[in-house]
Amino acid sequence: MKKHVITASLLLSAMTTFGGGYQLNLQGLRQMAMGGSGTAWPWDASTIFYNPGGLTRLKGIQIYAGTAMIMPTTAYGNRDNSGVVSSNEQTAKQTFMPFNLYIGGPVHEDSRIGVGLGIYSPFGTGMKWNDNWMGKYIVQSVELKTVFFQPTVSYRATEWLSVGAGFVVGTGSLDMQRALPVHGAQGPGLDDGKASLHGNAAGVGFNVGAQIKMSENLQLGLTYRSQVNMDIDGGAAKFRVPTSLKDSFPGTTFSARLPMPAVATAGFGWRRGDFTLQMDFSYTAWSAYDSLRIDFKQTTTSLTNMRAPRLYRNTFTPRLGMHYKISRVVALMAGGAYDPTPVVNDIVSPDLPDADRIVLSCGITVKPLPGLTIMGAFEGVNSVKRNGEYVYAGFNGVYKTAAATPAIGLYYSF
Amino acid sequence: MKKLYTIGALATVLFSACRPSANVTTPPTSGEAVFTNYLAVGCSFTSGYADDALTVSGQLNSYPQRLFEQMETIKSGNGATGPFIQPLVTGDNGYPTPKLVAGTKYYCDGTSSIGPVVSTLPLDSNGSWHYTSPVNNGQINNIAVPFIRVADYAVAGYANNNNMLAKRFYYDANKRPLDELYSRVFNLHPTFFTVWLGATDVLGYALAGGQGNGTGTATPVLGNYYNQNDITPFQVFADYYDSVVTAVSSTSASGALLNVPDITALPYFTAVPSNGLVITRQSQADSLQALYKSRGFDIVFQEGKNQYVIKDNDDKTRQSVPGELILMTIPRDSIICAGWGSVKPIPKEYVLTTDELQNIRTMVDKYNENIRQQCIRRKLAYVDINAFMKTLATGMPYNGIKYSAEYISGGAFSLDGVHMNARGNALIANYVLNTINTYYHSTVPLTDANKYPGVKYP
Repeated sequence: MKKHVITASLLLSAMTTFGGGYQLNLQGLRQMAMGGSGTAWPWDASTIFYNPGGLTRLKGIQIYAGTAMIMPTTAYGNRDNSGVVSSNEQTAKQTFMPFNLYIGGPVHEDSRIGVGLGIYSPFGTGMKWNDNWMGKYIVQSVELKTVFFQPTVSYRATEWLSVGAGFVVGTGSLDMQRALPVHGAQGPGLDDGKASLHGNAAGVGFNVGAQIKMSENLQLGLTYRSQVNMDIDGGAAKFRVPTSLKDSFPGTTFSARLPMPAVATAGFGWRRGDFTLQMDFSYTAWSAYDSLRIDFKQTTTSLTNMRAPRLYRNTFTPRLGMHYKISRVVALMAGGAYDPTPVVNDIVSPDLPDADRIVLSCGITVKPLPGLTIMGAFEGVNSVKRNGEYVYAGFNGVYKTAAATPAIGLYYSF
Repeated sequence: MKKLYTIGALATVLFSACRPSANVTTPPTSGEAVFTNYLAVGCSFTSGYADDALTVSGQLNSYPQRLFEQMETIKSGNGATGPFIQPLVTGDNGYPTPKLVAGTKYYCDGTSSIGPVVSTLPLDSNGSWHYTSPVNNGQINNIAVPFIRVADYAVAGYANNNNMLAKRFYYDANKRPLDELYSRVFNLHPTFFTVWLGATDVLGYALAGGQGNGTGTATPVLGNYYNQNDITPFQVFADYYDSVVTAVSSTSASGALLNVPDITALPYFTAVPSNGLVITRQSQADSLQALYKSRGFDIVFQEGKNQYVIKDNDDKTRQSVPGELILMTIPRDSIICAGWGSVKPIPKEYVLTTDELQNIRTMVDKYNENIRQQCIRRKLAYVDINAFMKTLATGMPYNGIKYSAEYISGGAFSLDGVHMNARGNALIANYVLNTINTYYHSTVPLTDANKYPGVKYP
C-alpha cells in the first residue's frame, strides 16, 4: 500500500509547474474526501462553494452542516552553516474547527432556478510555537480565521448548461504574538518585551461558476472565486516593554490588508455506473500577497510600520478523486492532490513555513434514512521537508508540516 | 469488503505520516581539528570585558566560553573536554572601575535619554590578586588580559607596573606576559587555540582622540613599554605577534588567528555624528558665521545640519569634514549648553581627524596582512573579524533581530561602546566557528546568540 502512495506522489510532482499558503480546502465533506476536487459534479448543497452553477441541479432543497478538526504540527530544526541541525522544535498541538453550513437547491421541483446560502471558511492558518523558541522575535503565535457568507443564485440555461453566482461577504480575525528584542534586568526568556496584535477583518468578493454536461458520462465545471481583500482597521496593538521604553512602544491601533487570493478552477467528472472519477485543476493567484504590511496609528522611532516581504507566487494544483457507490446506503471516496507552495525560497518565514504538500484523503457516506445523509472524511496532509531561509530576518531552518483532519457532517434533502 | 480494507489501510498510512519531524541531525564532528584542550589568548575583547568593567557575568559570556561550549558538543572524538577555566572575578560590579548600567541620563536643557550610568555598587576588590584555578594543576583556558597589547608581551613587570587587571591573570607579576603565556601552554598542552590580539595596539591612540604617536614611529617610554596612547610600531607588533603564536603552537596545536577590526567603526566613535550641529534659523547661522569672521576664520554655516567646529591636531580651529569622528565620551551638556562645536571648538582629544583616522586604518591593514601571512605560513585558520564588523555596521539580521553597530539600539555592543555584550560575543563565536568549520572541515554547531542578554533596559 505504502509503495503505491509513493508512486502516486512522484507522478503528481512530475506534473508540478511551480498551494498551500493559508488556503483551506475543507468546504465539503465529499469533496474533501476526494482530494478537494468537486467542480464538475454537484454532489450536494456544498456546491454553493465548489461550483454555484451546480446548485440548480440538486434534486431538492438541502440543509447541510459539517465541521472538520484540523490538527496540524510543524517541526523546525535550526540549520546553520555547519550543516548540523539542532534545537528541534514542534508547534504546540492545536485543533482548529472550521465549519460549513449550506442551505439551498432548486426553488421547486424541476425549476430552472436555484437559490442558496453558504457559510464556510476558505482561508485560515494557525500556529503556536514555544514562547522561547529560536524564532520568537519573528513569531510566537499567529492565527488567521475567516468565515465567508455567500448568498447564491443558479440558473439552468439549457439541458447541458447551468450557471451560478454568489456574492461573498468575508469576515475574519488576525492574532499575532511575537517577542520584542528588548529585555529588562532579568534577561531574554525571562522578561522579554512582547507585541500582541488582534484585529477583526472584513472584505467582499464573488464566486461564479458553470457546469456543462458534455455527455451522459462526462461533465465539465468551471469556477472563479474572486480575490477578497480582508481589511483590518482599528486592530489593537499592545506592547509589553521595560518601563524606560514605554514611550517608544505606545499601545495603539493598527490597520492591515490581507489578500485572500482569487482561485480559478476547471474540473472534469466522469461517471460509469456506480463509479465516478473527477479531476480539478486550480490556479490560485497568490501573487496578490506581495508583502505583509501593518500600519500603526501611532509610530515612534522604535515602533515603525511593518513591511515583511512575501512575494508569493501563483500556484497550480491538480486534484483527483474517486467515488464508489457500494449500495443504496453506503458510498466510499478517496482522492489526493499535489498542492505546491506559493512561498518562495528566500522568504520561508516561521509564521507560515509552507512547502509543497501532498494531500491524501478518503471518506464514507451513509444514508440511514430517506433524505438523511451522514458523511465522514479524513484528510492527511504532508509537506515535503523544506530548507527554508527567511533572509529578511536572518532565520534559517528545516521545516516539515503535517496535518491530520477528520471531519463529519450531515445533510437532509427535502 | 476489500474496498473497506483498502480505505482502512490508507487511513493508517495517513495517520502515521501525520507526525512530522524535521530531525535530520548531522552529528557534530571535529574534522581535522583536535579541540580537546582549548586555549584562548587575547585582550579585552577575548576576556569578556564589557560595560567598561571586568565582571563575572561578562567573563562567563565571553566568546571563548561560547566556543568551548559548542566544541564540547562533539561526542565522536576530539571534542573539547572540560572544565573550561577562566580567571573569574567574583562579583558583578566591576574592577578596577565600576561597570556601566543602562539608566536615564538627564541633560542641562531638561531633556533625558537612556544612556550609560556609572554603577554605584561597591567595587569587586578581589581582582587585585591572582586567580587560583580550582583544578589541581592550575589549569587556565582563557588567558586574555584586558587591555593587553601585542607590544606589552615584552614588558617585564607588566602586571606590577602597567596594568592593574593583569594581576588577576598572572602568577608572577614580575615576569613578561610572554613568559606567563608559556607557563599556561606548558600547563594546559593546548591542542587548539584562538588568538585575537592587535586591536588594543591601535585602540589607545583612538580613545585618546589621536593624542599620541600615530605614525608607527613611537619609541618605548620605559624599558620595552610603549605609551598607552601610541600606535604600536609595525615591526614591534610583527615580532611579538610571532612570539605569541610561536608560544601557543609550541605543543603542535592547531588553531585560528582573529584579525584586527577597523576600530573606528565601533559605536564609541560613531555614536555622536560629526554633523550634529543643527541650526534652526538662517539668522543664527549668519550670526555664528559673523562670530567666526571676527575671530579670523571663514566658516560657512547654514540652516539645518552643520559639521561641528573642532580644534584639529595642530590646534587649528576649523570645521570638521564629513567622515571625521567625535568620541562618545564628549560631555553632552557641553554641546547642548556650553556651545561646544558651535561657538567653541570641540577640544582635540574628543576628535579623530582625517589624518588620525588614516594612521589607524593604515596600521590595521598592515597588522592584518601580517596576521594573514602568519596563518598561511603556520597553516592556521584566518578569521576575518574585520569583515564581520563591517557586516555588523551595515546591519545584520539574525534570528529576527537586526543587529548593528548602533550604540545601545544595535544590540551587540555593551554600554562602553567598544566591547561586545553577551549577544555580540556569541555572534563573534559563531563567526569564528564558521571559519573553523570551513578550514578544518569540522561541523561544530553554532549557538543561538539571542539566548544571551543584550542591553538590560531599566
